Amino acid sequence: MIDRDAVPDRLRVNPALAELTLAGFIRDAVETTGTAGVVLGLSGGVDSAVSAGLAARALGPERVHAHLLPYRTSSPDSARDAAAVAEAFGLALRTLDITAMVDAYFEAHEPGAEKVRRGNLMARVRMAVLFDQAKALGSLVLGTSNKTEILLGYSTIFGDNASSINPLGDLYKCQVVEVARHLGVPQPVIDKKPSADLWPGQSDEDELGFSYDLADQILYLLFNRAHDPEEVIAMGYPEATVREIDRLERVFRFKRRLMLIARLSGSAINLDREIPRD
Amino acid sequence: MQHPLTLGLAQIDVRLGELEANVERHLEWIERAHGDGVELLLFPELSLTGYRLLHLTPRVAIDPATSPLVRRLAEAAGEMRVVVGAVEDDGAGVLYNSALVLYRGEVAFTHRKLYLPTYGIFQEERFFGAGRRLAKAAVDGDHFGLLICEDLWHPHLARGLALQGIRLLSVISASPGRIGSGERVESLDTWESLTRATALVNTCWVAYCNRVGWEEGSFYPGGSHIVWPGGEILASAPCFEEHLLVARLDLRESDRLRWRLPLVKDERDDIEGLP
Repeated sequence: MIDRDAVPDRLRVNPALAELTLAGFIRDAVETTGTAGVVLGLSGGVDSAVSAGLAARALGPERVHAHLLPYRTSSPDSARDAAAVAEAFGLALRTLDITAMVDAYFEAHEPGAEKVRRGNLMARVRMAVLFDQAKALGSLVLGTSNKTEILLGYSTIFGDNASSINPLGDLYKCQVVEVARHLGVPQPVIDKKPSADLWPGQSDEDELGFSYDLADQILYLLFNRAHDPEEVIAMGYPEATVREIDRLERVFRFKRRLMLIARLSGSAINLDREIPRD
Repeated sequence: MQHPLTLGLAQIDVRLGELEANVERHLEWIERAHGDGVELLLFPELSLTGYRLLHLTPRVAIDPATSPLVRRLAEAAGEMRVVVGAVEDDGAGVLYNSALVLYRGEVAFTHRKLYLPTYGIFQEERFFGAGRRLAKAAVDGDHFGLLICEDLWHPHLARGLALQGIRLLSVISASPGRIGSGERVESLDTWESLTRATALVNTCWVAYCNRVGWEEGSFYPGGSHIVWPGGEILASAPCFEEHLLVARLDLRESDRLRWRLPLVKDERDDIEGLP
């Protein structure tokens, strides 16, 4: 069993090497698909900032199409921070307000819907807009989901977790932050409290009930190192948090395997016939 | 092969499932290697097809004896021994992850990968049959050892080839990279530990040729290198880029070392408890 004090060090990633490899990943995907570049949504948060920075390094800023997709309740801070990220990496930022698209549905059909449903639709409308822009621009949609939120299922399925390629999906949140510092993401973006900004005052860590730093360490031990929850608790991590993270990882697995097909034939797609996509 | 031998490692990127495009690319690198006077040229594992083929594996399988693509490559090889990686169709319903030695228009030797990793991201046993024979690659009076990637992790194979008398072990590989907190690709440190230890305990040269590029979400870092029989790295290719690494090896260095460090000569097969 590894010592708890050693876990943060084990979680470190060399940011220069991460930049080199992940820029290569983006460049290769664009070249092999023969596409013009990438499209992504800038939220003003650190994850989309890192994806944008990597893409700008990989392709040059003119082939990276950044979009701000605000809803009427979105924080003005998000717009300000997204603009700072775009400026830092030399990207043009196009703003497409999604309020009318989202409100049209709820006003006409579901006026009583609660905030999580509204937030989910915002995430899916953003996805729809980005894929439409990708079609128009002959580009790929660049994902911005990190390993922590993917494992916790802290995302909207077919919403913010949808993309053509995702450079961040094997980096925990703390590793994304390391890469952000290296790339020169503006400091206020790195320092601010993570938020999906789906309703005013939303905070990821308040909603989850634990900090990303703690989640990263516990997920690393459970997922990368194959410890069971009892062993992680024995290392001194809070029992309730370990159990909750273990539960979330289990119940949201369905969000990580898109397109589960009922197998009938003996040649089912992705089950019997695993065809590479490259 | 002469002493010293001019060895070339073609650390290339390949396109998954695109056999003909990959053959064209091989022809370019063979021509370059001829220009550098290379006598033995290694390409990476599954260099003609790409690595993570899954259910595309049968589509790119070839019978080396009759394949016109192999013939073109073998003719281009001429007097150079050229090692390529291929999906070999045995004509009886089994496919192998094979290394072919091409020389003077012919397939002079074939090694079928003996250990097929089927763990983590690897799924080789689903698609390939395992080879059953360990032999030195004997080509026109010369010989060298030839293993494929995972084979090197089972040290009795390199030892077996050393006991057969090889002085150079060639290892072709398609090994995906991992990174961590260090400045180097972590998986390359692992490979260098393995190649250096193999060279040292078998007192032979070891040449390791890995591919570069991205495929199905994994990167291949390259980091091809050549290890002197005493365990020091003689030459390395840069990471992440295509490169032809050429070095002249005095194969007799292996003999000279074996005279004072007779590890292979002292090997025993009469120890109770060993198979």
